Amino acid sequence: MRAPPGLSRLLLAARGWGLLGAMSRYSTEQRGRPNSLDYRLYFKNAHGKYISPFHDIPLFAGSKEDKEIPAKRSKTTGSEVLFNMIVEAPRWTNAKMEIATEEPLNPIKHDTKKGKLRYVANIFPHKGYIWNYGALPQTWEDPNHMDNVTGCCGDNDPIDVCEIGSKILSSGEVVQVKVLGVLGLVDEGETDWKIIAINADDPEAQQIHDIDDVRKHKPGYLEATVDWFQLYKVPDGKPENHFAFNGEFKNKDFAVEIIKSTHEHWKALLHKKVDGGTIKCTNLLVSGSPFCCSEEDARSIVQSAPALMNGDSVPPEVDSWYFFPK
Amino acid sequence: MLLRPWRAGHAGKNHSKPGRTIPCRQEQSQAAPGRSLRRRVARGRAGSAPARARGACAVSPQLPAAASAGACAAMSGYGVEERAGPHSPEYRLFFKDAAGRYISPFHDIPIYADAGKNVFNMVVEVPRWTNAKMEISTKEPLNPIKQDVKKGKLRFVANVFPHKGYIWNYGAIPQTWEDPGHKDENTGCCGDNDPIDVCEIGSKVCSRGEVIKVKVLGTLALIDEGETDWKVIAINVEDPEADSYNDIEDVRRMNPGYLEATVDWFRRYKVPDGKPENQFAFNGEFKGKDFALDVIKGTHEHWKALITKKTDGGGINCTNLTVSESPFCCSQDCAKATVEAAPPCKAASPIPPEVDKWFYYQKN
Repeated sequence: MRAPPGLSRLLLAARGWGLLGAMSRYSTEQRGRPNSLDYRLYFKNAHGKYISPFHDIPLFAGSKEDKEIPAKRSKTTGSEVLFNMIVEAPRWTNAKMEIATEEPLNPIKHDTKKGKLRYVANIFPHKGYIWNYGALPQTWEDPNHMDNVTGCCGDNDPIDVCEIGSKILSSGEVVQVKVLGVLGLVDEGETDWKIIAINADDPEAQQIHDIDDVRKHKPGYLEATVDWFQLYKVPDGKPENHFAFNGEFKNKDFAVEIIKSTHEHWKALLHKKVDGGTIKCTNLLVSGSPFCCSEEDARSIVQSAPALMNGDSVPPEVDSWYFFPK
Repeated sequence: MLLRPWRAGHAGKNHSKPGRTIPCRQEQSQAAPGRSLRRRVARGRAGSAPARARGACAVSPQLPAAASAGACAAMSGYGVEERAGPHSPEYRLFFKDAAGRYISPFHDIPIYADAGKNVFNMVVEVPRWTNAKMEISTKEPLNPIKQDVKKGKLRFVANVFPHKGYIWNYGAIPQTWEDPGHKDENTGCCGDNDPIDVCEIGSKVCSRGEVIKVKVLGTLALIDEGETDWKVIAINVEDPEADSYNDIEDVRRMNPGYLEATVDWFRRYKVPDGKPENQFAFNGEFKGKDFALDVIKGTHEHWKALITKKTDGGGINCTNLTVSESPFCCSQDCAKATVEAAPPCKAASPIPPEVDKWFYYQKN
């Protein structure tokens, strides 16, 4: 694969973090120790500049901010809208990795609850997450806004994505996805839409365009998804979750509307039209944002994080399998 | 909804995303004796961490350093020595006893850990949730664990939705043999020429090559490509909930859906490879503990006949170190020569990404 010199150096560097996919425009830098409280995954763009995955990666792939679009992409997808997705948790893993919305530059970190590292439970017959799980950048579920569908306020995070393709992606990977539908989860009383999407590079991506195609090509997957979200916090002592629309999936068009609305909320956040509370809006590339910072500021944020070291092991209790009566 | 959580209670597996390498806590605490130092593996291995056998290349877990390593070789007294790298055709996992002598896991590990209590030894071949089809190599001297090869390619079991890899710790009971010359009266089929298989349902994800003690709970009569292939259902005696398991009904009660998933798995697991669905005796019903004990005893008798040359084992290698009445008994020097002929330990090869594919079928 030929690439401009600067990019190929970056891609070589990115290989070490498992990001060498086709045309990766972003790379990551690990800090601290994996599976520990100080672990952070910072993001860099194609020019090696530290950026925020929350604010500086365009929501729409192929937008004018998204400069390095390979010609191949626009040929194969025609008029289909592609979104960028930030992968947080690879399929079949348990560590609850997330974009740190309350830290500057919003690196991916390992979520904690009551001071302990969070791992999602294995809900029989499932093992860890059953999709590549992540978020759409430049979206925000506003906690001050009551969603008129769910009747609940937003969960204060970017909108979540379940990527259903074949390949196991890496934490920190940025992939272009086709949106297929959405599930209206109400998680502990907060609106928590789950976008269903597929990696545009997936071998089946050309046959899967909407939520019904998922039913056809992957029977049982949507049911398993509802099951998973309904039960996944019960091992932690939380109640079962509920859904809007009785747990039915809505189609692509509906999903895209939801995404657009969370994009508007994000814009309002970045332009200080709403109060983001403790959300860190520090960014490098959002023109007109009062939260824009300099490259030097960004560099010193990253460099103040501890150096990468050998990781801790995953505790054996993470392997427990939780069974529920029929 | 009532939840019946399983809780693992022992030091054990490490895993993150498939492909990430994290040295096992146990591995870090184990040192090899001087002679084996040159075979110690370099730190950092690719491949699925849960499938790592515990220990660096030449492990002697009877050393004091290993005592803190939890429920692994130190407790069972057995150790392993890796040769070549995992996920390569040359990979071999040889076994050693507590004194560091090479043994065969097929012939030299006693079938019973405690005969009076019907506690059996189990050799773990495949940790739960991994895909590499590792098995005791019945045709090679000392019967090391190796990865099965089909049509020249390393075998990885498919992920048949909703399952990921194997859904139990999978392995074999030593000193058993399903005789291909003998037609089983229950299945009407001849044996598959292997030790009897075990699906261990405990919480902990065990390591490849681990020797654990299990309570037998029941059995499933799989007919795999026309051969009798009993699947014993068992639980690690060290499992925190082991006392609640005494028979197959307890699995139904404590792990709803697990037995159904087990039948489903065995029925379909070869379909992605182009094979038909498998069949079962007894309509896929599980038989209970007493029945399972009888089946195991039968396969133990077949093994005794094999090891004493009363039955012709064909290509089976009966080389052993401890079965004194066996004409195949050999010396430790001979065993050492076998192991030393194998290539040196290496880092694991990466698992091909197609192994991650999830196969879907229309529900029946």
